Amino acid sequence: MKLFAAELLETVEFLPGQWLQTYAAPALAQATKPGQFVHLRTPDYSGLVLRRPFSINTYDRRAGVISIHFRVTGKGTEWLAHMRPGETAQLLGPLGRPFEVDRRSRHLLLVAGGLGMAGVRSLADEAVAGGRQVTMLFGAASATEVYPSSLLPDEVEYVVATDDGSFGHAGRVTELVPRFEAWADQCFACGPMPMLAALAQLSRGREKRLGVARLGRRGGAREQPLGSPAARRGAWLQVSVEQNMGCAVGACLGCVIMGTKGPQRVCREGPVFAAEEIAWEGWR
Amino acid sequence: MSLIAEVDLSVELGRGLQLRNPIMVASGTFGYGVEYGDVVDVERLGAICSKGTTLRPRVGNPPPRVTETPAGMLNSIGLQNPGVDAVLERYAERWAGWRVPVIVNVAGESVEDYVEVARRLDGQPGVAGIELNISCPNVGKGGLQFALDAEAAAHVTEAVREATELPLMVKLSPAATDVRGIARAIEQAGADAISAVNTLSGMALDRHARRPLLGNTYGGLSGPALKPVALRVVFEVAQVVRIPIVAIGGIGSLDDVLDFMFAGACAVQVGTAVFADPVLPLRLIDELAEWCRGEDLASPRDVVGVALPERRARPSTKGVEYRP
Repeated sequence: MKLFAAELLETVEFLPGQWLQTYAAPALAQATKPGQFVHLRTPDYSGLVLRRPFSINTYDRRAGVISIHFRVTGKGTEWLAHMRPGETAQLLGPLGRPFEVDRRSRHLLLVAGGLGMAGVRSLADEAVAGGRQVTMLFGAASATEVYPSSLLPDEVEYVVATDDGSFGHAGRVTELVPRFEAWADQCFACGPMPMLAALAQLSRGREKRLGVARLGRRGGAREQPLGSPAARRGAWLQVSVEQNMGCAVGACLGCVIMGTKGPQRVCREGPVFAAEEIAWEGWR
Repeated sequence: MSLIAEVDLSVELGRGLQLRNPIMVASGTFGYGVEYGDVVDVERLGAICSKGTTLRPRVGNPPPRVTETPAGMLNSIGLQNPGVDAVLERYAERWAGWRVPVIVNVAGESVEDYVEVARRLDGQPGVAGIELNISCPNVGKGGLQFALDAEAAAHVTEAVREATELPLMVKLSPAATDVRGIARAIEQAGADAISAVNTLSGMALDRHARRPLLGNTYGGLSGPALKPVALRVVFEVAQVVRIPIVAIGGIGSLDDVLDFMFAGACAVQVGTAVFADPVLPLRLIDELAEWCRGEDLASPRDVVGVALPERRARPSTKGVEYRP
């Protein structure tokens, strides 16, 4: 975790209201792992009091760049969308805990809802580079909001669902999961809480229902303490969650979500959690 | 060319609590001093006010707990903390090794709670002082905040004073009707310093859901939006007490620091601004020293209270716009 003044290299409105921005940040790109985020400060004159957290959408260690993906939803993202290449943004990062892929996992199922793509996007790169098979299930409201397949690695199998049926499967992205869940060694998801809650519901009792073994659990491997990287690595489903954030370093306790063991800081214990670590009641 | 070689930034907050400079970080915005890791050289700070600490562990309020508002933010953390014993066990040793004094912010629901926390902090290596958060509901008295009632504020201050030899700073609420009476009562009850102000209660709505945005409905307003209120409170209190005043409320620049010093504060706490710029407090130390050199001042102490009137000004309770 460090403070960086990062130059904006490229800014594109690649879907209506949705932007991809690339920043020069060699040390940050070097240190980032899939699932981590940056806390970005809009310019002083924006008058905004809080930084804004963004998933590190992609990172390229060789080029020394990272990218973020956002939708203009309020004042912070509006300022950001007005930034021009050459301007600098203050970034604090990389922050939070990354996704944990078990080394034995060959087949990864990634599930993204809308802007949740940014949460799992870099994991697709990393997994493909590691020789794993990746299927990305993506859900959006309609065809106009579908993340372009050309922005994903060629090796990724990309399956889309839209709520209005204007593209791909008509319905929720979670309805696609049963087709892939037996095949997938691990599942990684990011999106709205109700989507993640539905996935958590599916993943519960999955082994028994499908008659499959869970990674590392053949022969009854030791249960790992909740919250540990080992527990996440052993989990079939890991989710990346979002919350309003203050400091992003664990100091203010502003960004908690309710976990099965009390409040959990999204910035520090998260943003990636094993599904079992989150108290899903209230999201269903 | 300045004649001042070395500016003396040191400040004394009573009972021998010596700060190397007047730039502190405010409770709740800096955790226990360890969270920012290498990003901030904490030992350069004037002092650190810890996260609010209570006798027993508290899980805090339901999320969401923070939201941005015009020129400010609301928070309703609900004093989530592991309890005083766990705080000491986890952090006191580290604090004891630092040059920067750590002032433990203490909250409670009853006078007995405050006293017991103070007792447990007393004499602990690493604990340089206590800041009393009295903007908590007094459960025994129907839930009225201690900070809104001069008698209750004095009572809790006095009780804690008797329980500890630690330097004692009491934090005022900006919601008090007559903050001067409360400040006086706190001084008479034995406080070594006053910090002003805590957050001001407010709320925000979730427009789509058409209900309160924060899980706790209400939250404390902080940030630049609060500065004029804090400045007014410091200005009023500085005219009625002799103990040192530490200003808090929307401090984000050297101009803010100077405003509060001119109004009577000898030190300041940076709070909400730390979220946007964690190294701001360190920069303010350098900027203050530089400003003193430019003004040929050996110490910023020379400008504390320069904006105060010679004769005591009318209290704000006498009306803002209407002059009889």
